[in-house]
Amino acid sequence: MPATGHIRPLLAKEFLDLARNKTALVPVAIVTVLSLALPFGIAIAIPAMTGHALGEDSDLVRVSHMASAADTLSDDGRIQLFLFQQFLMMFLITPVTGAMALASHAIVGEKQARTLEPLLATPLGTFELLTAKVLGALLPTMTISGIGLGLYLAGIALFAAPGVGAAMADMRTFLLVALVAPASALVSLQAAILISSRVNDARTAQQFGALIIIPLAGLMVAQFSGSVWLSSAALALIGLGLLAAWLALTFVSVTLFDRETILTRWR
Amino acid sequence: MIAARHLTRRFGPRTAVDDVTFEVGRSEIVALLGPNGAGKTTTLRMLAGLIAPTSGSVAIGGVQLTRANGAALRMQIGFLTEAPGLWERLTVRENLRVYAGLYGLADADARIDRVLELFAIADRGNARTVELSKGTRQKAALARTLLHDPTILLLDEPTSGLDPEVTRSVRMLLDERRAAGCSILVSTHNLDEAERLADRVAVLDERLVAIDDPAALRARLTTGRTIVRVAGDPSAYVDAIRSIVGPAVDVAVERSALALQLPHPERQTPAIVAALVAAGAQVLEVRAEMPALEDVYVHLMAADGGGA
Repeated sequence: MPATGHIRPLLAKEFLDLARNKTALVPVAIVTVLSLALPFGIAIAIPAMTGHALGEDSDLVRVSHMASAADTLSDDGRIQLFLFQQFLMMFLITPVTGAMALASHAIVGEKQARTLEPLLATPLGTFELLTAKVLGALLPTMTISGIGLGLYLAGIALFAAPGVGAAMADMRTFLLVALVAPASALVSLQAAILISSRVNDARTAQQFGALIIIPLAGLMVAQFSGSVWLSSAALALIGLGLLAAWLALTFVSVTLFDRETILTRWR
Repeated sequence: MIAARHLTRRFGPRTAVDDVTFEVGRSEIVALLGPNGAGKTTTLRMLAGLIAPTSGSVAIGGVQLTRANGAALRMQIGFLTEAPGLWERLTVRENLRVYAGLYGLADADARIDRVLELFAIADRGNARTVELSKGTRQKAALARTLLHDPTILLLDEPTSGLDPEVTRSVRMLLDERRAAGCSILVSTHNLDEAERLADRVAVLDERLVAIDDPAALRARLTTGRTIVRVAGDPSAYVDAIRSIVGPAVDVAVERSALALQLPHPERQTPAIVAALVAAGAQVLEVRAEMPALEDVYVHLMAADGGGA
């Protein structure tokens, strides 16, 4: 069992550093705002402005029946529920996009700032270093996306058709918010940290890191197109699979962290 | 005490450090001297447990450094890297507090106050390190190195680029740490610093070319020349000297002095002085010509095939 006592001081440093460099969190704030603006624009504002109710679109009605068993809702309400459930997937991407730059920069950034060698000269272990880096990127961005999610759910309760807010509060939403979102963020960030410890340039790390968005984006598109509907059971399996993948990636990251190469070959 | 035994480190086909053996005792400062690429930083990194030797071993306080005990033994080491390595958005205190946490120091604030006082930078404690001068950053890095009261200090170019005043204060501080019982290994390009600071100087050029105290190193290059300065024209006293040393000894007039190549200076010098006085000379100075450490260094590197 690796020691964990050194994670806290390094994590405190990560938070302090971020607090002094708030612009690093602007991307996650922007993605969060977009994640809020898009669904409310599409499901509430545009129908209100154009005067065309969502229920007038037969395709949307058909798809919404496939996705939801909420028979007590009106057509408009069911379509809103369908759209809000789809856009909930955006909150999977929010923490990942925002934290990606932080995570990709984590190790290579320390090396380039020449702060890594003094750190490695302390009793700090590799697992502790990498865990502090993952949490340092994850927690602030999860906090921001968590605030966004709270606003999202509050907005639904306030502005959506009657019953939509209550229908959103189901196991599927809970699994997405409490399990799949943090698990996918952990996998993405751990992968970014792994990349960051294997390349010698922050830009390269960021470009590799951006590739991690692709499977999440694919999942979103598949859901929107109606070709895939992730049930609660499927989401639970995905969440647990992601957690297992995170543990595996953590092990690989620690194993592949080659402090000698980082110290002696990187310039 | 820290000991290197037959330390060798290769990077692919290149040998950075080759079969280096030495130790730094308690209350001792050893200066590691060598040209760029001589393996000084690699040696320090191996001693700090940051990189493993290809062969050979490091012992700290008699305990062999291994991957398993590296973290525990690093508690005893203060390692100053070539660059200060401070987080620029954090203040000096915040930087030190992180390291206090990493070393598990319970009385972090008191220790931070103490090291800041020690380096006379207490007034800069709440300044972000990006705002500091190079000298103050280096002092802050040194403060970080001493924060956990290490018994072994490994310092990579501690006074590089510092002004003479800061250099002097760093030197004084290292003297204090030596008096407190620390084993200190300092890598430097600065021969003057090595001579002023170190009890022994290790000349490194991939392998250990020489290690000794500065006076003994200089003695290796002793020319055997004795310089005699007299008032007036020195050539007037050449015959008086020849009457003592005989015709085989080279006696040369060099500006206002006589340079004698004496085979046994300790035995012959008193008789020469007596003869000069008897000849009416006013003897101003008699000294054995000693090479500077720089001359010794250049000589050693040249003998080793180095480019210094």
